[in-house]
Amino acid sequence: MDSWIHPAFFFFIGSLLLPFIKGNAKKFIILLIPVLSIIDVAIMREGVYGSFHFLGTTLVFGRVDKLSMVFAWVFTIMAFLGSLYALHVKEDGHHAAGNFYVGSSLGAIFAGDYLTLFIFWEIMAFSSVFLVWYRKEKQSIDAGYRYLLVHVFGGLCFFTGMMLYAYKTGSFEFERILQSGAGIPEYLILAGFALNAAVIPLHAWLPDAYPEATVEGAVFMCAFTTKTAVYVLARGFPGFEVLAILGTAMTVYGVFYAVIENNIRRVLAYHIVSQVGYMVAGVGIGTELAINGACAHAFAHILYKALLFMGAGAVLYMTGTAKLTKLGGLYKYMPLTMIFYIVGAISISGFPLFSGFVSKSMIVASAHEEGRLMLLTFMNLAGIGTFLSVGLKVTYFAFFGKEAPIKAKEPPKNMLWAMGLTSALCFIIGVYPDSLYVLLPYPVEYHPYTLTHLSEMLQILSFTGLVFFLLVKKLSPEEKLNLDLDIFYRMGGRVFMWIDNYIISVIDGFWGELYRTLGLKILFKNGDISYGFDRKVIDGVVDGSAYGVRGVGGIVKKLQTGRIQAYMGFAVLFIVLIIWLLIRGM
Amino acid sequence: MNILKYIESLRSNMKTLKKVLIAYLVILVVFDVVIHIGHHGHYFIDNIPGYWTIFGFIGCFILIKVGKGIAHLFLSKDEDFYG
Repeated sequence: MDSWIHPAFFFFIGSLLLPFIKGNAKKFIILLIPVLSIIDVAIMREGVYGSFHFLGTTLVFGRVDKLSMVFAWVFTIMAFLGSLYALHVKEDGHHAAGNFYVGSSLGAIFAGDYLTLFIFWEIMAFSSVFLVWYRKEKQSIDAGYRYLLVHVFGGLCFFTGMMLYAYKTGSFEFERILQSGAGIPEYLILAGFALNAAVIPLHAWLPDAYPEATVEGAVFMCAFTTKTAVYVLARGFPGFEVLAILGTAMTVYGVFYAVIENNIRRVLAYHIVSQVGYMVAGVGIGTELAINGACAHAFAHILYKALLFMGAGAVLYMTGTAKLTKLGGLYKYMPLTMIFYIVGAISISGFPLFSGFVSKSMIVASAHEEGRLMLLTFMNLAGIGTFLSVGLKVTYFAFFGKEAPIKAKEPPKNMLWAMGLTSALCFIIGVYPDSLYVLLPYPVEYHPYTLTHLSEMLQILSFTGLVFFLLVKKLSPEEKLNLDLDIFYRMGGRVFMWIDNYIISVIDGFWGELYRTLGLKILFKNGDISYGFDRKVIDGVVDGSAYGVRGVGGIVKKLQTGRIQAYMGFAVLFIVLIIWLLIRGM
Repeated sequence: MNILKYIESLRSNMKTLKKVLIAYLVILVVFDVVIHIGHHGHYFIDNIPGYWTIFGFIGCFILIKVGKGIAHLFLSKDEDFYG
């Protein structure tokens, strides 16, 4: 039972080692970390590992079952592909942030109780934000702060819900919750999870932050946060009707923005909202087929969405822009990148022989099986929008279309290899769906390659293509910013500043005036009386202590070297001192 | 490079390409009609031949028109809207 090693271990320890290794050895270690974790997952057996008793409750670090294993497989595989894509990145901090992010996601999916889950949940938010900040541009710094702010809010919802839940049930165990027994605590936890899954109306952080992340960071980000959220929803809240409806709404909402956006990475980010919508809807429908579909789609989606972000990132990396209005005719300069991007695009659109065809259709089929024809209709409408925006619009305007005055080259080899390998996986899953189906939590009786399904998908996709070419002029991208719900907190901040600048400063000014005219007079009178007392009694005492303070000030001044590492050193010493005092006191 | 030549030749033969694609669309609809013969599904959408053809065509049309329409109506702002 003790032979279990938490795969997060490799990522945490590995990132701490990175600063001490140089040159090719560092690249080797960067790739070795995910490889070791994949091997670890491969030899892992189902069971419950790593339980600790802590403050009267049980922390479970390793709940290994079919549901957590699907996600462990794809997370570790994705970590390898992402690390390969980011191999050229010089900053150790960037690699460390990526590794901590992956490690904490793995921690979250193996967590068996809410407390452990919450800790990893927060590490995820605080490590991933560095993947945004490492871009080091003003809009990235700003977007990173907003990202953090929203996630802290989500974390608070989760935390409050968790505490109320523990109060209600007397346990932190993270198990399936039934819709019939759910009250405020459960729905608060659900809201915290839903925020990370970018469920509307809690989605605006995603298209705000992901397009501002670094080229390599975005590849990591698109995989882990939302899919960890899909996992916890599938674990805790299957069959919640609200998820079925909001999830389906997400699918259409996301593609709608993807159709009108200009920046490729914004198109893709909105498209994550749409794709995660399928998974959330699958969880909401809650049948075995639907849950299988949600897991299969999460697996397939992580790969092809990462592939698309790799392609878009390569374009941004080599040309300096991801705006469709400034791109065009890139097929001449980046043919391999284009082919890999197209593989991602037709996988996500659900073309036969590629991974989306065998995963997305499971969720659509579950809606069909349950007679949820409205859900089915909107999901297929979103399918149209997927091919239209990610498949046709981006491919046409970036790689073909009007030629832009940009001379680009193919990206570095490691990026091409990462894209090539991911493309291969998308194809393998599409051709051998059983390679994915064996990993799913429930036995699979679903067959994607039937005549009706083939005919349905090909009709939808082909006639979408026809309309695209008829209306292509109407669809030309525009250099605009499209409003979304983040306007409330972006503008809300301004309202707060306005209140601060005008209303509070007016009150402050008035108060100051009142004090000057009225207060000072009283003070002067008072002063005359106290003067005598002061002169005779206080001076002696104060002068004495003033010398004392000056002496201490001199010592403090020496401590204030102005160097941040010195402060951190003192802080650590101080904490050690406190801990020592605590231990001695016990 | 071979891929480039291939794309260039496709681009220079647009007329033939269009004819091939239109023929493909027609075959697709005929194929759907054929597989519907003697086939009965649970719901009405399963029993209309070419349902997804119409769905794809109209759906895509609506997405483009409504999307761009709402964008122009009030969603689109200048890129420095937030300063």
